[in-house]
Amino acid sequence: MKLTVNGVEHDVQAPQLASLLHVLREELDLTSPKAGCQQGGCGTCTVLVDGEPRRSCLLPLAAVEGAAITTVEGLGAADELSPMQAAFDEHYAAQCGFCTSGFLLAGTALLNGSPGATREEVLEALSGHVCRCTGYVKIVRAVEAALHGEVHPERVEASFEPEETDVLIPGSPA
Amino acid sequence: MAKHKGRGIATIEYPTGMNQNGDPSQAWVKLKPDGRVDLFSGTVDHGQGSRTVHAQIVADTLGVPFEWITNDNTNTDSSAVCTGSFASRGTFIGGNAVRFAAEKARERILEIASRELEIDPSDLDVIEGEVIAKGAPDRKISVPEVAAAATWTYGELITGTGAALKPFADVNDDDGSVETEPHSAISYAACVADVEVDDETGEVTVERLIQVYDVGRAINPMLVEGQIEGGAMMGLGLGLLEQAYPYYPETDHRGDEFGAYLAPSLEDLPDLDNVIIESPSADGPFGAKAIGEMANNAQPPAIASAIHDAVGVWVTEMPATPERILRAIDAKRDPRREGKRVVFDDELSVRTMSSTGGNGFLETDG
Repeated sequence: MKLTVNGVEHDVQAPQLASLLHVLREELDLTSPKAGCQQGGCGTCTVLVDGEPRRSCLLPLAAVEGAAITTVEGLGAADELSPMQAAFDEHYAAQCGFCTSGFLLAGTALLNGSPGATREEVLEALSGHVCRCTGYVKIVRAVEAALHGEVHPERVEASFEPEETDVLIPGSPA
Repeated sequence: MAKHKGRGIATIEYPTGMNQNGDPSQAWVKLKPDGRVDLFSGTVDHGQGSRTVHAQIVADTLGVPFEWITNDNTNTDSSAVCTGSFASRGTFIGGNAVRFAAEKARERILEIASRELEIDPSDLDVIEGEVIAKGAPDRKISVPEVAAAATWTYGELITGTGAALKPFADVNDDDGSVETEPHSAISYAACVADVEVDDETGEVTVERLIQVYDVGRAINPMLVEGQIEGGAMMGLGLGLLEQAYPYYPETDHRGDEFGAYLAPSLEDLPDLDNVIIESPSADGPFGAKAIGEMANNAQPPAIASAIHDAVGVWVTEMPATPERILRAIDAKRDPRREGKRVVFDDELSVRTMSSTGGNGFLETDG
């Protein structure tokens, strides 16, 4: 059957009742959704199905036929982060990173669906996700910053090169 | 039947690294011909940020911008030795290893710059990627130029190795006792917990945790705060929720999914007030001590103490589940056990929890 992931249509071979998580990770090699508890309790496998956050571990392939799937790979690239990714980077909202893709997508769905969300609505939207490193504080802060448009992507661009020296070094290759 | 508020406090001290012999970490740094710095450290970063902290230590020790440092990915086969990312040792012991390595590489930078500038190395300093003559700031050469000169002019490699090892302990073979220098990196912390306890359901809500950590020097305050906040929620889980084996040593009813093994969730998140105190250590990198494992130790006793303040019972087993709290409240109301009248002595219970500093528990003499 056909599966549209991050705007690209794929012909997938897995059986109809295979989990979407399995298909994404094992067949399409998209490893941002994580296999955590695999019973819908932890949120690490979250993907967007037509813009709504869903647990891909509980979704059979047949249930998403014709739907548009978004994973973190479809949010932004390393040098062009999405506003939610940039906010997570700026606020140090990830430590080990295992829960991060789920939180990013839940936050992205909130940003797209109800950008004026209150703090209670933010907590509600994120509450099905378990994080064991950060203590949640910086994740909530990052999502709120993205909702309020207080993201500074320029801060995440770092120069990894010293400035070019125009000194001619004797013996150096041309 | 009502909800009661309570406040509790706990203080801890926490050592860095393994308490006995050695516990080595090794590191080396080298300069590429364009001045960028490769850092090879054995310490593995699993999210706590040791790669960032080590790169900061190298950058500040060498005197070059942080962005010039590249951490090599560690691998078991060829990386420098590090006993591991545990015991809160990444910044203190691993960080000392990279500091010593960077200090040696800095000496090499000065030595090569000295040949180029014809100035004695002791009269040179490295500031923001440039080697500058002290007192004559127009006499200078950039670190990339120094690295290029080493490579293309002198046929040398600018490198430095470093290793950190804890002092060895004297073991007395007769009685097995161990004597060792108390190393400087003991971190201290305090936690104040504000809770609300429902004496009908036994449920505890942690409303606020005030956390004060002396980490020597916060090399990266944002990372330190991340450790404090993460540790706070782990400590809250240990104190109230997480029960791997409810009938230990029996393994029945083991929590094997998130509905049964309760990990702290966003709904449990209290207000967290974090205070970082900098009381530098004598021999840590830039005075740093540790933050890491210590961050989840003070909350369980602070919460237990706050529960006592709220409803007058001591829960002496972790986690303080609603069941344990209700049993303690019942026992206090009706001090009979197996038909005998047993008076629960509050004061006595507190004192039996006091440690005498490693020699077992204090004798209670009434």
